[in-house]
Amino acid sequence: MNKEDKHISKLLPDYLDNLLDGNQKKMVEAHLTQCVACAKELSDLEELFRAIDSEEEATPPPALKLKFLEQLEEEKKSLNKVVQIDSKTSHERNQWANNFLKIAASVLLLVGAFLAGKYYSNENSSKEIAALTVEKMEIKQTAMLSMMESESASKRIRGVNYMEEISNPEESIIQALTDRMLYDENTNVRAAALDVLADFRDSETVKNTFIKALGTEKDPSIQIAIIQILGQMQEKKAAAPMQELMEKEDTQPFVKEQIKSFLPDIT
Amino acid sequence: MKERTDESLMVEVSNGNLDNLKVLFERHHVHVYNFLYKMSRDKMLSEDIAQDVFYKLMKYRNSYNGGSFVSWMFTIARNNLKTHYRRNATDHDDLGILEYQLTESNDEKEEDYSHLQIALNKLDASDRELLILNRFQEIKYAELAEIIGSTPGAVKTKVSRALKKLRKVYFEKI
Repeated sequence: MNKEDKHISKLLPDYLDNLLDGNQKKMVEAHLTQCVACAKELSDLEELFRAIDSEEEATPPPALKLKFLEQLEEEKKSLNKVVQIDSKTSHERNQWANNFLKIAASVLLLVGAFLAGKYYSNENSSKEIAALTVEKMEIKQTAMLSMMESESASKRIRGVNYMEEISNPEESIIQALTDRMLYDENTNVRAAALDVLADFRDSETVKNTFIKALGTEKDPSIQIAIIQILGQMQEKKAAAPMQELMEKEDTQPFVKEQIKSFLPDIT
Repeated sequence: MKERTDESLMVEVSNGNLDNLKVLFERHHVHVYNFLYKMSRDKMLSEDIAQDVFYKLMKYRNSYNGGSFVSWMFTIARNNLKTHYRRNATDHDDLGILEYQLTESNDEKEEDYSHLQIALNKLDASDRELLILNRFQEIKYAELAEIIGSTPGAVKTKVSRALKKLRKVYFEKI
């Protein structure tokens, strides 16, 4: 009897919380009709739980929230700083790459001159130069494309920024950039890709990417950049996704404002 | 629209979308504050530690492993509180511990505590903690086990024992 009592009293909190399965519940109820001590414990617990539930919650001072928001803003700022430093080094790297390209160009010139000399003896050589130039361009593009697949976010940003130097990019490059913009896990890489792609906004592929990103992009600053580009283009196809974004619960209020300012022009 | 889970919001925070932390703050800061206040009965201390909890959630966002957010948050809160008392205890030797156990008798004159609060304060800190988390913050046994580093079964037994003690103190002098 004593042992059984212990068993039941352990089940009583869950009995009150309605967490017991059918069999346990029946067992507890059967026991309660026979055991005065357990019935008393149950009514005590009930009273205790009622007291707990009616206990007032303390309200934290407003300073808690204010300070938290301050800390959050500071953290966001420091994130941006990291990006700035990052873009600086990528600029330096670009210069380094430029210098390297200059040397490469002069080497190419030398080879070219040599080949040009050869041209007089062999007319086919002009074709070789053309082939060589094309090959060099391809090597450069391949290097950039592989950079964009790198594990390191800063390398991917560098790869993306590199693309800006190409005036008339191939479809494969545009494809690589749109992939970065839509699917890269790093916000800064997506922002850099958006930056480069903005120059090619007249391309149908790029335009469709922007529209698609309206539905997928979660970062408010990128959202705003996309809305501005599509808004300025007065792209009709963007109206529906913008409307959708505006109705989403987790869309930031200032993003909604931005959409509101453009929507009337588009529709 | 379905409300997003704490966990999916926190995953995005750790990926750099810091604004989601505002949603998590709105949902939970009152609970964290009340846990700390019920444990310490010290408003200033509770404010400071609650502040630090959310600061740590932000700073250590990359170490979030995708597990129960509430468990993670209360683990941080609990560790902070412990660190505070440990530091106090070494600074003032026994005084700190004494203070921890007897805050109730000091503050009692300043504020009217409910009979329940007085009874709670008479329990050991570990029993009090279990009851506050389980009964007041409605944290399930599984999550509670994660917080205190135990198993759900053992936690259930501990909670039931602590309830027995509370019942004894609560009805003793009524």
